[in-house]
Formats: sequence, C-alpha cells, structure tokens
Amino acid sequence: MSITVHAELSSIPEVQAAIDAGESLFLAGSREALSQLPRGNWVGGTICYFMTKEGCLKAEDRIFVTKVPEFALEVKALDYGADNLAQIHRDAPHNGFTFVVLPASSEVLKTFAEKASIFDGFLLHPIVGWVSGVRVDRIGIDKPAVFNGKSGAVLEDRCVALHVSLPIGKMADLEIANIFESGGGDVIRFEETGFHVSQCLVNGKPANLAEYITRKGIPTEFPLVGDYNGSSINVSFLSVDAAKGTVELYAPVFAGVDYLFAKPVADYSAAFAKAVTGEEPESAFACNCILNYLYGKLEGKKAGTLTGPITFGEIAHQLLNQTLVRLQILGVG
Amino acid sequence: MIPPIDHPVWVQFVTGKKTIKSSRATFNMLVQNTKMEYERDASPANTRELISRSYKFFTQFESVFPSEIAQITG
Repeated sequence: MSITVHAELSSIPEVQAAIDAGESLFLAGSREALSQLPRGNWVGGTICYFMTKEGCLKAEDRIFVTKVPEFALEVKALDYGADNLAQIHRDAPHNGFTFVVLPASSEVLKTFAEKASIFDGFLLHPIVGWVSGVRVDRIGIDKPAVFNGKSGAVLEDRCVALHVSLPIGKMADLEIANIFESGGGDVIRFEETGFHVSQCLVNGKPANLAEYITRKGIPTEFPLVGDYNGSSINVSFLSVDAAKGTVELYAPVFAGVDYLFAKPVADYSAAFAKAVTGEEPESAFACNCILNYLYGKLEGKKAGTLTGPITFGEIAHQLLNQTLVRLQILGVG
Repeated sequence: MIPPIDHPVWVQFVTGKKTIKSSRATFNMLVQNTKMEYERDASPANTRELISRSYKFFTQFESVFPSEIAQITG
C-alpha cells in the first residue's frame, strides 16, 4: 500500500501560507519566486519547468510544492558542501528518506555524481531529488541555486537536504522510469570514472569515443545506457568534439559498467504514458529530465501521469540523466 | 528469510557467483556497485566489508524486496 502525499504547482501566496502554517516543504521554482518566501522548514532549488496534470509547462511565477506528510516524525533542513557531503548519510534517519537539491555545474554536484556510490550508507538511506537549473535560454548567464529556508541561505556551491524520518510501518522506496533501452550493438567500457571522456574500449578494443560517435553518425540526443544488473542507467551527452577527441557528459561514466547506445525514441510522451500508466503505487514525489522535455518536445504534452519539476539531473541514490524518478512511501508490516 | 551474515551465500553474492534477477533499480544498483567494488579490490577485508553492506541492505529492506531475498537462498 502506498501513501498519498500532496504535490502540486502552487501560487506564491499559497506557498507562503503553507510555510507560515508550519508545513515542511520541498520546493521547485524560479529564483525570483523562491526569493519571495519566508523562512521556515523548507528547502528548494531553481527550476521553472514542470510536469503537471494538464501537461508539461514553463512557469516562473509558480512553485512546485511537495508537502512532507503529516505522519513524518522529524524533518531536518541542512546544507552540505563538497567537503562534507559524505555526512549526508550520517544525518539521514534510520527509517525515512532525504530530499536533496544540488546546483548544476557545481563542485558539490560533481562530488555527489562521482562519489555517492562509495559513501558509507549508500542505498541504505534513500536519497531522492534533483539538480537545479535555469531557464534554457539563460544557460551560461544565470546561475542555478538552492535555498535553505531554515537558514535563509541562497547557495550556488552547496546542496540542500530535507531529512524526513518515518514511523514504524512506513518505508520509503525509490523507483525510476526509463524510456530508453539499449539499442544493442557495440559495448562501450571506460577505464576511468568521469564526466569528460576521450578514450574508451569498444568491444574490448581501445578507441576514441568522440571519433567513434562521429564516424558512426550516432545521434547524441539519446543517452548511453549503463547495464546495472539489468536496470538501465542513463548518461547523457553534453557535447562531442571530434576535432579535440573529447566528449562531455551530464553525469559520469563509471569504470566497470557496460554501456550501449540507446535505441532512439520517436514519441517521448507516448513512451512515458506507457512507462507510467497510473496503475503503479502513487508517488510521493517525482521529477523528470529537462533533456526529455527539450528533445521530446514535451511542452503542452503529458509525461505519463506523474507531476513534479523538470530538472537538470535526477537523483535516485545517485545522479541520473534523462530519467523519471519517483519516491513512494509504502505501508509495511 | 535472510541467511546469517556468515553464510557462504554472501561470499557468492559479492563475488558475482550468485546471480539475482530483479526489475528494481535500487536493488540492481546494489548488485552493480558491489560487483564494481569487488573488481576494484578483492581483498578479504574488502570482501567482508561488501558482505556487511549487502547484509545490512537485505535486512533493512526485507519487506521491500521479497522476491530478491527468496533468490538469495534459492
């Protein structure tokens, strides 16, 4: 059995009222919108793209609100830098989950992306959230930020976390919906973990990835799909420079994982409708990727039945790309 | 039922000799990351550490992953 949690796009006065009423909130909105909120038990990050019941849209004057359920035992808002990020699992409740927002292009995001899986407590404390961003036409001009509503801090080089403790009989569970699957073909491996790639192994033979992609004419709006024991974990392309022989990625590739290029998806909205039918347990939180919104031309269209922010990266224990992430709170025992 | 931490199946699990199929991303992240960590360092000390982490995971999420737990002893 899953627990329904209030999550919707709201006006700024509605969010101000919820904070003043003492609600604990996980928020997504433009910097201008979040800056108008009073201090309280909330964290949030900058983004202005959303999945709503009516379809995907851009809104700078509204805020997507996820209310922490009333049955939560304790809620703590904290922020972390790259230097103390491993502490996030030590601060997490034994039974519960942690909402997190990390600013795009920050050192703290790089640290999380590359090291989350080796932090003590990885997978034992569910961490769910997203990467904050800016309006697409303001990339490189505006800076993504996160907000700690408790302290009033607006941060561009730290992440914020809302640790939520759950009572016995309730448990957090994370799931992903990935519309991409491996297209078969050559298996790509990397000898080093990182966001910047030049050399790789193609079916065990050394190759330059940029040269390989260019020679094969591989479309880079579709991700590399990592095989995690049968689950597909995406890594998306930021740029391919054949002249320099370099590839920049939105998430790191990991040594020891088999990657394949994704099978192209023609209709993203239909693919999400198939992946998220509404028959699954209800989600307490969900987010989807800005690349799916852009490449899939999702503005005005639905991405399955879920609502939530459309973000510059998704977090389900670790950084993901081009993936829909959802949190479910299960009744157990 | 989860086998005790000193059961040989845990060594098989962290060394990749015990295959468990799952459709759940969280569980498959455990399997893949355990495999990568073991490939990086197959020392007895790291094997013990990986067993400890896996055992904790199975114990904590016993109610969430019943079919995966059934496979560990199956």
